[in-house]
Amino acid sequence: MLVASIQAPSGAVLEFLVLFAVILFGPLVVSRLGLPGLIGLLLGGFAIGPHGLDLIKAGDQTVPALGQLGLLYLMFIAGLELDLHVLRKQRSAAVVLGLAAFAVPFSAGLVIGWALGWSVAATILLGALFSSHTLIVYPTLRDAGLGGNPAVASAVGATVLTDTLALIVLAVVAGTQTASADITVVIVEIAVGFVVLAGVGLLLLPRLVDRALRMWGGDRVARYVVVIVALLAMAALAEVFGIEPIIGAFFAGLALNRLVPNEGQSMDRVEFFGSAVFVPVFVVSIGLLLDPSVMFTTETLELAGLICLGALGGKAIACWFAGAALGFDPPERGAMYVLTAPQAAATLAVTLIGFELGLFDTSVVNAVLVLILVSISVAAVLAQRVVTWMPRGAAHKVLGEKVLVATMAERPSDTAMRAATRLARPDGGHGEVVITRTAGEPRPEATALRSVERHIFGHGFDGRLTTTVGPLAEAVPWAVTETEPSVVVIDDADFDILVPGVPLVVVRVTDSGEDTFRVVGSIDAEDGREIARRLGDPRTARNRMRRRDPPENGASRSTDTAQSIAPR
Amino acid sequence: MTAWGQPTGWAVALAAIAAGLTLSGCAVEQGAAGAKFVPRKPGVLIVATSFLPAPGFWFGRGAKSGFEAGLALALAHKLGLERVRVVQVPFAKVTHGRLDGADLGLSQVTPTSERERTASFSTPYLIAPPGVLGRRGVEAIDLKGLRSLHWVVGRVSTLTPIVRNVVQPTSPPVVVEDRSSELEVLRSGRADALLVDLPVALGLARAEPGRFHVLGQLNGGEGLAAVLPKGSPNLDIVDSSIRALTANGTISSLSSKWLGSQADVPLILSSP
Repeated sequence: MLVASIQAPSGAVLEFLVLFAVILFGPLVVSRLGLPGLIGLLLGGFAIGPHGLDLIKAGDQTVPALGQLGLLYLMFIAGLELDLHVLRKQRSAAVVLGLAAFAVPFSAGLVIGWALGWSVAATILLGALFSSHTLIVYPTLRDAGLGGNPAVASAVGATVLTDTLALIVLAVVAGTQTASADITVVIVEIAVGFVVLAGVGLLLLPRLVDRALRMWGGDRVARYVVVIVALLAMAALAEVFGIEPIIGAFFAGLALNRLVPNEGQSMDRVEFFGSAVFVPVFVVSIGLLLDPSVMFTTETLELAGLICLGALGGKAIACWFAGAALGFDPPERGAMYVLTAPQAAATLAVTLIGFELGLFDTSVVNAVLVLILVSISVAAVLAQRVVTWMPRGAAHKVLGEKVLVATMAERPSDTAMRAATRLARPDGGHGEVVITRTAGEPRPEATALRSVERHIFGHGFDGRLTTTVGPLAEAVPWAVTETEPSVVVIDDADFDILVPGVPLVVVRVTDSGEDTFRVVGSIDAEDGREIARRLGDPRTARNRMRRRDPPENGASRSTDTAQSIAPR
Repeated sequence: MTAWGQPTGWAVALAAIAAGLTLSGCAVEQGAAGAKFVPRKPGVLIVATSFLPAPGFWFGRGAKSGFEAGLALALAHKLGLERVRVVQVPFAKVTHGRLDGADLGLSQVTPTSERERTASFSTPYLIAPPGVLGRRGVEAIDLKGLRSLHWVVGRVSTLTPIVRNVVQPTSPPVVVEDRSSELEVLRSGRADALLVDLPVALGLARAEPGRFHVLGQLNGGEGLAAVLPKGSPNLDIVDSSIRALTANGTISSLSSKWLGSQADVPLILSSP
């Protein structure tokens, strides 16, 4: 009988249905109220959780297990997205601000934990929770043209230090709570673990992943899976030394920072799956812990007030005094504050681990959720004001930030791809490859384009492929306008056109098989030297550079004033 | 010049890391933030349980051996109490949160929505999928095999509907009142198999290896949790303590010691 076989949905299928319904509708609903999507996910988690509609039961293992993967992913992206170029550029200021933004809130956490009579471990973990931050409002400042401001750059660079220090503290606290060995042994084990993680992360993993991406990078699925395997390998390696896997995930993000450029195709996929599945699942799993009967008690609200005061006040003091010491004016210190105040990724990670270790109870978790909501809201509102106070400066494009490769051939030559990779890699840049053809030529088939993609990624270049019709002399100015590259590699030795505002590197292979190049267009001396340094290779016998000032507008012919560049 | 730039920057950063490590290393004290456990009797954790002895969970002289006996002691230490006192309370009362003066109940109880109306449950301390306890010599490797066995079920067991609706035995199961009667039927050979929480099945098989063995586990199932009186202010700190004992490996080692490994029990798929 049909009716007899009809039954209410249950089990994993129902859990996944309600989970993804929350991921879909939660952010949509709260965005209509002008609130961040994160809040919709947290509230949605509450709605379907044991304290809401009880569709996900208290003892459920599926959603929390998926949430764990989401947490690893979140910390991985946090490491991946950090702008290491900015850190290099503003290293002194970043170290000063990073230490202040760690130490002051950390101390505030210690004072509050001690005053509340918490255990030492819980108190230290509260300090770690306060000291981390997430660059949630950075896109607002970057889009306002403030990405190159030294104060903004310092705050971005400082994040590497604060989050690393916070995670080190977390690792040690977690290690002491989970291991049965002597405390000294645990600390030594963790210290060795960090050395190994740093060694593998700095030396081995980037090489292995680079090689893997060159071998299999043409396959989009393989490219993504290589990155995920690297993430999980580092997380597992951390566990070997009794270190929380999220720290391994964060190190994996730092290790692959340059291989997975922020604007590249690989990052696009990493972020897609992260923002569509993994990270929302994690945030929803946190929302399951949200309990109004606990959150809206006097005790929890008082605790939330103290936590907000400690975390946000600590960051404010740190930014104000470190900013003053570094010579930044008040609006710039404000920019530093809105960048370092938001608590999200690492805060959630520390809180969840504190909860799992039995160091934090549900009232602390709920109070921290209040902190997250308040800190994000405050920073988002303040950021809108800060951008109006700050002086705008033309953002200086980093040389290898976005490399455009243009060719008339069926695919770019090895010489062009080598040059593009060398230009992009040191800055963690990505690129575009434009293949142009004459009007009469047929459009390349999908299989041919796939082959070109494999060729591009085989050189370790994270680039998007575009085809167009027309001579190179027209295609390049068009592509420059469309993609706004920082440098263009022209795969045509006879190319003789200037495009304003961007250096063109024209490559060719000599009869003897040597790669040579010349630089055309408007570049400052520093960029010229940097191009020569990056492309300089002992195998290159002769590098020539032609320079001239660009015309006022449009493209024009260059003259043949050549300059030699000595190989590195 | 280093990646951080000035050597002084490195030195300060390393000093901060060293300070953090040292400070974090002092964090040996156990315990959750804020919450305090208030025992009925100072210094004593009074634990209610129903089945004495319960193989694998409470047995031996003074019922001091077994998984839940060890868990009770570890919880007491975690909560800063000196000793454990065990009181026997009928299962129906324990599941309703009526603990006869005990602080909490540890009696292989699975939280259900109905039970949560009258009692508070901690976070689970053991994952408990349904486990098939069979007579020695009885074998089944799939649902079809399970279907052909003779079953015994408890009248009020939360697992009885699984036997009826998922296993769907070809012969009607023997229905009895409680677990001791279920085991009697199994021992006498009037039934081949009994569905109980897997940790319980493991405990029973370990206690009587000549008579019983675990045929397999079914997918699904929730956990075993501590029972507290409804609305108990001690719930949060008991929860935190169970999470801490899970994190530091205490529960895992107690489970290995008294129950054996759940992972070694073959999974019998009960749904497509």
